[in-house]
Amino acid sequence: MIEAAHLSKVYSRGVYALRDLSLRVEKGEFAFLTGPSGAGKSTFLRLLLRQEIPSNGQLVVNGRNLADLKPRDVQAYRRSIGFVFQDFKLIESQTVLENVAFVPRVLGASDAQQRRRVFQVLKWVGLQHRMAAFPLELSGGEQQRIAIARALVNDPALIIADEPTGNLDPDLSLEIMNLFREINARGTTVLVATHDRDLIHRVGRRTITLDHGSLVEVT
Amino acid sequence: MRQALQYFFSEAATSLWRRRRSAVLAVFAIASGLFILGLFLLITTNGGRLVQRWTDAAELSVFLRDDVTSEQLGAIEDTVDRSGLVARREYISKDEARRRFRRDYRDLAVAADTLEVNPFPASVEVRLIAENSGGDVVDALVTKLATTPGVADVRFDRRWMQRLIGVLALVRGAGVFLVAVLAVAAALSVANVVRLATYARRDEIEIMQLVGAPATYVRGPFIAEGVIQGGVGAVIGLLMLWVVFAVMNARYGRMASESLGLESLSFLPVGLTISILAGGMALGCLGGLVASRSVRTW
Repeated sequence: MIEAAHLSKVYSRGVYALRDLSLRVEKGEFAFLTGPSGAGKSTFLRLLLRQEIPSNGQLVVNGRNLADLKPRDVQAYRRSIGFVFQDFKLIESQTVLENVAFVPRVLGASDAQQRRRVFQVLKWVGLQHRMAAFPLELSGGEQQRIAIARALVNDPALIIADEPTGNLDPDLSLEIMNLFREINARGTTVLVATHDRDLIHRVGRRTITLDHGSLVEVT
Repeated sequence: MRQALQYFFSEAATSLWRRRRSAVLAVFAIASGLFILGLFLLITTNGGRLVQRWTDAAELSVFLRDDVTSEQLGAIEDTVDRSGLVARREYISKDEARRRFRRDYRDLAVAADTLEVNPFPASVEVRLIAENSGGDVVDALVTKLATTPGVADVRFDRRWMQRLIGVLALVRGAGVFLVAVLAVAAALSVANVVRLATYARRDEIEIMQLVGAPATYVRGPFIAEGVIQGGVGAVIGLLMLWVVFAVMNARYGRMASESLGLESLSFLPVGLTISILAGGMALGCLGGLVASRSVRTW
């Protein structure tokens, strides 16, 4: 599903954010990506989201070499994966329905199809009754569940989450992780970047640890 | 497609409402530009109708000496008839000339009646065939008639009509130049308003990019903002023009039409009005397009 081979990312003045990183996340797997600040997690996720291009090596997701994607294909690639952010990244001026329905709408789904699909995923995250609410009317945990619903709405084969519990208390964090476990149980590959070792320990899945841009441990 | 357009325009309307103060300035920049364009078009359209009417009715007046003989008159009429340029000719006697003067200038009729001798010359009024009224052959006929015995003077209004056509072309040219300058200013105003919108919505744009919104979805609302501003500006500009025209027509229309010989002054033709509306929207679209290009879409 995700395959990095001798992946490097060098910024100006020769600073390495990633150095010769090789790793694999198999289809249907649930894996954590962890490491201290500056380890290269965020850079790796930016490369996965195709916000940046590797300086060296290859990053292949679902059979697609991201460095070869043309600008016009980047958006289609992003729609094919689900991404969950630490700060939720919900559009404040839009309702929950509009936020979650965004991807089906740009893909040309009818209003009825959008509502049906949004209702399904919101029901799944337990927030079907908040469709008409605006993001700022929701708690942090609810906002993150809405963001997960948005990532799931297009039924992606891969979900990537960047510190999805960074802004949540421990109970809510575990609740969100349980959602990811359920998503994974349905066959979706899940990669969660977090520096919360305790949470990783409680969920207990394969963990890829980075430090100074290099792979230091896989457990 | 319908859904996408609906999305673009509803987003654009919401965004414009949030920034209505700056949007109003851009709308009035477009309205002013198109108002001035419409004013020039109004002048040149009615001026064009005037020239057309005068061209159609181009008359050559051959004034006769008081002592003209019937043979000389016959020769003059023969010259006119054989020129092949004439649609109709009419002999106006001295008495008929005075009668027409009394009819056309009632205020001066009393003064004319006090004269013991009729001062108005007899004439031959010649209506030229419209397509021949501007050619060199007419000049040749005028020269020939002027030297024919029994002729006192020949009047042909083509020279000042040509001057009028020249003035209209100048007005049109100046209008085009002025409108081009105003159009650039209006498009820049729209672009600035839209650029402000892209700045205010940068977080939203980033989110749209991250969830894979296509470029058209990211840029579409901004282009729609430009189109709305252009369209509203054009409608306001046309309304302002119509109000000015209606007021001027009510006050001076009758006088102008009587003195110029037009049945009435007319507003812009429907086709031209629609073109101005479309032009406004195109200007706004251009402004929106320029501003939205600053938005990275991937």
